[in-house]
Amino acid sequence: MIIKDLKKFAKYFTEYTELRMQENRNIRLTMVNGDMMGNSRSSNSGISARVYKDGSWGFASNADISDEAIINVISSATENAKFLSSRENLQKGELPKTNAMDSKDFSTKKPRKSQKEMIDFLNVIDAHIVKEFPKLSSRTIVIGNLDMEKKLFTSDGAESYSMIPRTTLYVVMTVIKDDQPFELYEVYGWLGQFEDTFDKPEVLFPKLKKQYEHLINKSEGVYPVSGMHDCILDADLAGILAHEAIGHTTEGDIVKGGSVAGDYLGEKVASEMVTLVDFAHTAFGKQCPVPVYVDDEGTKAEDAVIIEDGILKKFMHNKETALHFGHEVTGNARAYGFYDEPLVRMRNTAIMPGKSKLEDMIASIDNGYYLMKSSNGQADSTSEFMFGVVLGYEIKNGKLGKAIKDTTISGVAFDMLKTITMISDDMAWSCGGMCGKKQMIPVGMGGPAIKCKVNIGGK
Amino acid sequence: MNNKEILIYAQNTLLKVGAQKTKCILTKKEKNELNVASGEISLFRTTFDTNLSLTAIIDNKQGSISLNKLDKENIDDTAKQVVEMAVSSKPDEANDIAEKQPTKEFYKEPFNPDLDKMYERLVEFMDFAKKKHPKTIIEEINFDFTSTNRYFINSNGVDFTITEGIYCFVVMFTSKDGKKTSSFNYVAHVTKDLDTPFSECGNIVKLLGESSEQLNTQQVSGKFVGDVIVTPECMDDFVGFITRYLYDYPIITKTSVFLEKLGKQIASKSFNLHSKPVSDDIAESYFVTSDGYETQDSTVIENGVLKTFLLGLYGAKKTGKERAVNQGGCWEIDSGDKTLDEIIKSTKKGIILKRFSGGNPSDNGDFSGVAKNSYYVEDGKIKFPISETMVSGNLVEMMMNIKQISKERINSGYHNYPWIKFEGLTISGK
Repeated sequence: MIIKDLKKFAKYFTEYTELRMQENRNIRLTMVNGDMMGNSRSSNSGISARVYKDGSWGFASNADISDEAIINVISSATENAKFLSSRENLQKGELPKTNAMDSKDFSTKKPRKSQKEMIDFLNVIDAHIVKEFPKLSSRTIVIGNLDMEKKLFTSDGAESYSMIPRTTLYVVMTVIKDDQPFELYEVYGWLGQFEDTFDKPEVLFPKLKKQYEHLINKSEGVYPVSGMHDCILDADLAGILAHEAIGHTTEGDIVKGGSVAGDYLGEKVASEMVTLVDFAHTAFGKQCPVPVYVDDEGTKAEDAVIIEDGILKKFMHNKETALHFGHEVTGNARAYGFYDEPLVRMRNTAIMPGKSKLEDMIASIDNGYYLMKSSNGQADSTSEFMFGVVLGYEIKNGKLGKAIKDTTISGVAFDMLKTITMISDDMAWSCGGMCGKKQMIPVGMGGPAIKCKVNIGGK
Repeated sequence: MNNKEILIYAQNTLLKVGAQKTKCILTKKEKNELNVASGEISLFRTTFDTNLSLTAIIDNKQGSISLNKLDKENIDDTAKQVVEMAVSSKPDEANDIAEKQPTKEFYKEPFNPDLDKMYERLVEFMDFAKKKHPKTIIEEINFDFTSTNRYFINSNGVDFTITEGIYCFVVMFTSKDGKKTSSFNYVAHVTKDLDTPFSECGNIVKLLGESSEQLNTQQVSGKFVGDVIVTPECMDDFVGFITRYLYDYPIITKTSVFLEKLGKQIASKSFNLHSKPVSDDIAESYFVTSDGYETQDSTVIENGVLKTFLLGLYGAKKTGKERAVNQGGCWEIDSGDKTLDEIIKSTKKGIILKRFSGGNPSDNGDFSGVAKNSYYVEDGKIKFPISETMVSGNLVEMMMNIKQISKERINSGYHNYPWIKFEGLTISGK
C-alpha cells in the first residue's frame, strides 16, 4: 500500500472526521481432487472519510488516493453529513474524544513464498491425503490469506497503522457410505502470512489423520435423538456460542435496536462459573487470532468483560453507542474494506476456562452428546440461537459412543448459560471465523468445553 | 485512457507477456446509500469502486488477479504476475474462455439515482412504521442505488458492455414492549423506480405488523409430523438449498444429491422453477455470465423434472455435461391453484414458516433449523406465533411432498415466489 501522510489533510476537516487509507490483499488457491480449480489473488485499496455533524454521519470513499481525490472524499463525506443533519437535526451532542496512537505490523520477516511454492505445499498435502486415506471419494484443499493494512487519522488526533494478516488452510474430506456422501471439513491456520503460519506440510499430517478418522466414524454414525439433552459443547461450539448467541446481543448497536440483553445489565444471566470476554489483542499472555490495538474510530482497544461470574457487566461500543448509553468506549468499531464505515464488531470473543477435566465431564453424563464441531451459527435479538453441528459423539454411561450424523442445536442463550454445570480447564481458539453484519469481518472465537443442556434437532 | 482503452491495454499486455488466452473484466460502481440505525436516519454514504480482473491461460494452466489501481505501471506489473501465476499452476483442459459472440451493449435504466426521492421515500416509510407500529423498532435500513458500468472482453473476441442501475431497500426490525422482545425479522425489495412507497411493496407491511404480535409467543408442545407452509420470504432459503446441488463443485466432486437426476423427477409435478436474469419480470438482472456468455432465461425444474444443472464453463468441460445458459438467481416459481386462505384452511396441523434459521443441508439432503417469526396452525386456523420450535426433514423427500402452491406470489424484485405447503416434515417443540 502507498502510505501517505494523512495529517496534512487535517486542514480540510470542518467537523469530527475520520480519514482511513486501507488495502485488503487476498490469496486463494483451491485444489479439488488434485486439480487447481482456483488460482487467484486480489488487492483492493482506497481512501474513505467519515464525518459526524450534530448526530448525523456522512461517508465517502474512492479507490483513487491522489491528494485531489482525498480532498474530494473529505468534502463529499462532509456534504453528506450536512445533507442529513440539516434534515434530521438529531442534536446528539459531541462524541467521546479518543486519540490513540499505535503502529502494529504482523507482516512476515521471512522471504516471501512464490505462488508456485504455495501450490507445491498443496501438492504435498494432497499427495499425502491420497496415499494415506484411500477410502475418500473426494478431497478439497484451499489456502486462503487476507492481509488488512490500515492507516487512520482522525480530527481528535488519533493516528494508527496496522497490518493484520490471517492465513488458513481449509480441508474438506468426503467419503461415500451406502451410496450416500458424508463430508467433514477442518480449518487450520492463524494470525500471520503464509510463511509464518504454514512452515512444513508434515506438521499437519497428524491433524489430517484425526480428521479422516472422525469422518469414517461419522459415516458409520447414527442420527441423534431429538429433544433436550445433557451435552458437552467442545471449544469450537463454545466459541460460536460466545460470539453468536451472547456476543451479538451485547453489541451496543444491537442493544440500542432492542436486543433482550439491554434489560439484563447488572443481572445474573449465566451460571456463576461463566465469564465471557471480548479480548482486544492479547489473552492469557498470548496474541489473539485477530488482534486489534486501535479501532477504526481511533479508540484504544480494551478487553470487554461482558459476563463476569455469571453477571452481565458490559456491552461493546463504538463512539456513538457509548454516547447513547453513557458508557465508556471499548474500541469495537471496525470496518472491513476502505469503502466500509466502522460498525460495532467483536474481536476475539471467548468463554474463560474453568476447573474441570474433559474426561470427568464426559464421565458425568449417562445419556447425552459430546458436540465437537459446528458448521455455522445464527442468533436472534431474543438470544435464541441455532448452530449446525457436523461432528459429535454419543455419550453413554459416561463414555463416548458412536459418532452422530449432522444435526442442529438450538436454545435461548441466556437460559442455556444457567444450565452450565462444568467448564474444562483448557481452551482453544478457532482461527477462520468471518462474521457477517452488513459487512464481513475476521473474528476470533474461543472457549473451553462446557457441560450444559441444549435442544437437538432431528427426525 | 478511457475504460475500454484500459481494458484493451490490459489484454494486449497479458498477450505480450505470454498469455495464450485472456479474460479481462473492468467494473466501475457508484453507490449512494442512506442508512437507518435504531430508528434514526443516521448515515449518508457515497462510494466509488473499481475492479479490474485479469485472467491468463497458458498451456491449460490458469491464473487470475483483480486490482483497483488502473495506471499503466500497475497493469504492466500485474499482467506479469498473472502470467507467472498461470505458469506456476497445474494444467487442466477444463480451463478455457468463452467463444466469440456478437459484440453487444446492454443498458438498463435508471442510470442515476433520484437522491431527493430516496430521502423522501425513506422518511415516509419511517413515519409510517412509527405511526402504525409504535412497538416495532426499525433496527436497520440499508437503502441504496448502485450504478454499474462493466466491460468484458476476452482473446476470442468477446466484447460486452453493460450499463445499469438499481435501487435496493433492506429493512430489519424487532418489537419491544417492556422486557418483552420479539425475534428480529427482515425483508428486502429491489426496484428500478421509486414510484411506490415501500410500505406498499411486496409483503413489507404485513411482516411489520406481525412483529409486535410475536412479542407473545408460545412453544409447540412435543414433536409431530405435520405440514409446513413456507412463505415467499422464507422460500429463498429452500431454493438456495435445492440449487446449491446443481453448481460446479457438487457435480465435479460427485456430492450432489441430484447428480444422476437430470431429466428425472426431483419435485412434485406442480413445481416449476425458472431463472430469469434477463426478463423484465424480475427487477434485478445480469446480462453476461462470469465466463463471458450472454445470459438467457431458463427453466431449471419443469413439472418437477430437473431440466438443467447450473454448470459454468469449467464445470461443463470437467464433467462433460452441458453448460448452463445462466448462473441461476432471479428465481421465479410458478403460482398454483389454491389461495393462501384455502391452503391454511386445509391444514390440519402444522406451521407457517416465515424465517428459517438453520445451516445448509447435509450432503444427503437432511436439514434442521429453528422456525422464526412463524405461526402454529391447527384445524385450518392460525393459532399463535411460536418460539423455540425446530423443523427438520430431508430436502429430497420434501420436494416430492409438495401438497399445495398458492395463486398469490410476492415479487421482491430479486425473486417471485408463492406460498408452498410441504407435508411430512418433523416439527418439534422444547
